[in-house]
Amino acid sequence: MTTPEAIIRVVNLRKSFGPLDVLCGITFDVREGSVFTIIGASGSGKSTLLRCLNYLEQPTSGEIYLDGKPIGFRIEADGRRVPDTAANINRMRAELGMVFQQFNLWPHLTAIENIIEAPLRVKRLARKEALDIGRHFLGKVNLFDKENEYPARLSGGQQQRVAIARAMAMQPKVMLFDEATSALDPELTGEVLEVMRALAKEGTTMLVVTHEMGFAREVSDRVMFLHNGQIEEDGSPESVFNAPRSERCRQFLSKVLH
Amino acid sequence: MWDSLRQSLDLTLFWEYRTILLRGLLQNIYIFFGGALLATALAFAIGAARLSKRGTVRVLSTGYAELFRNTPEYVFLIWVYYVLPIIFSRLLATKFNFSPYAAAVLALGVSYSGFLSETVRAGILAIPRTHIDAAMALGMSRWMIMRRIIAPQAIRRMLPEALNQYVSLFKATSLVSLIAVEDLMYQVSMITVHEMRPLPLYTGAALLYCGIIIAAAQCIQHLSDRWRQRGWA
Repeated sequence: MTTPEAIIRVVNLRKSFGPLDVLCGITFDVREGSVFTIIGASGSGKSTLLRCLNYLEQPTSGEIYLDGKPIGFRIEADGRRVPDTAANINRMRAELGMVFQQFNLWPHLTAIENIIEAPLRVKRLARKEALDIGRHFLGKVNLFDKENEYPARLSGGQQQRVAIARAMAMQPKVMLFDEATSALDPELTGEVLEVMRALAKEGTTMLVVTHEMGFAREVSDRVMFLHNGQIEEDGSPESVFNAPRSERCRQFLSKVLH
Repeated sequence: MWDSLRQSLDLTLFWEYRTILLRGLLQNIYIFFGGALLATALAFAIGAARLSKRGTVRVLSTGYAELFRNTPEYVFLIWVYYVLPIIFSRLLATKFNFSPYAAAVLALGVSYSGFLSETVRAGILAIPRTHIDAAMALGMSRWMIMRRIIAPQAIRRMLPEALNQYVSLFKATSLVSLIAVEDLMYQVSMITVHEMRPLPLYTGAALLYCGIIIAAAQCIQHLSDRWRQRGWA
């Protein structure tokens, strides 16, 4: 068996909004096929970190590699770093699926239209092929019968599942989940977490920002605790949840677990 | 007293001249569609430019919108018809003239593009940033996002306000008789000179304008209701 490669490598990533340093030098690897969970209090930089990975936010400095290729910059022959073209950034984004806290489905398109939009326009698949893929993933999130519904007629949990299918339909290398259940009523989080669990079981590489500690403990291969833009604790779920070394992480966990 | 008023209001005179009047009305309709098309095209360009990342583009396009929003249509119509040809003639060193129709379409189109660009801008701004994030995260290009995600939603939001602007534009086409376009009002004044009976003629014209706009508004209401039923909210 070969050792799984680091599909995402983040090196000394920094992000500032004006004088505010949100990420202060973050370094980590995500192995292919693993579930990497980021926990931390609000304002700790979790969402910003995720948004930097696909360049929705431009990092102030540092490097990100997806499957060995740098994201957002190129190294010229003479070794200089230059910003990458918009087209290349778009191509890279297509390889990273993202699921947002607020679902962000487009209200003027039906569930299936939301899902096939990017396969049609970005990957330029034939309509038939895009529909097949779309229906496949709609079935995976257990919404096969809702393909012609507009988002306004779906519950929050259903909308989020369509959003997951939309991201998966691009068949990305990595899925990013930005607090995918935080906007849902407690009785609806279960159906979304169930879908995420199934994806993890199939070996989807996932980077998950979440407040669902049960999910993090049960599904993750690795857990990272962020505090004020720095990695405070990092390790297997057992070590982070059962024997955290950092005092801050202990405090955080004692607050959220009770 | 009532009898004499009824007699002088007798709209049959209006009916007698129906062919000429209808021909006049057609001119209004042509100018309306020409002006509306021009205004809409310019409004999208200016509205998008007002949201540009570049400061100079934003300042220039905002200046354009403010200039034409705040200049009365009548003044601008006269300016385009009488002054603009002088400027062009000097610049090109040849004699240059607008036909009254071209001047009318140009003046009304540009004039209303100022108002409409504000509607376009507001419509685009009303689209939540998160919809654009989702599209970007899927690798869609800026142009693709504008065309597939922003425009279809923005246009639906713009529609009620834009329709008000089109109604105003249609009303404003009644000004074009002042630069000798042979529109409805032009024909009415010509017939009035001839018949010396302004009451039925001008009243008829007013009622006709009003009727057309009410009918158009009904159609539009019906259409937008159907859109809403399809879940396009």
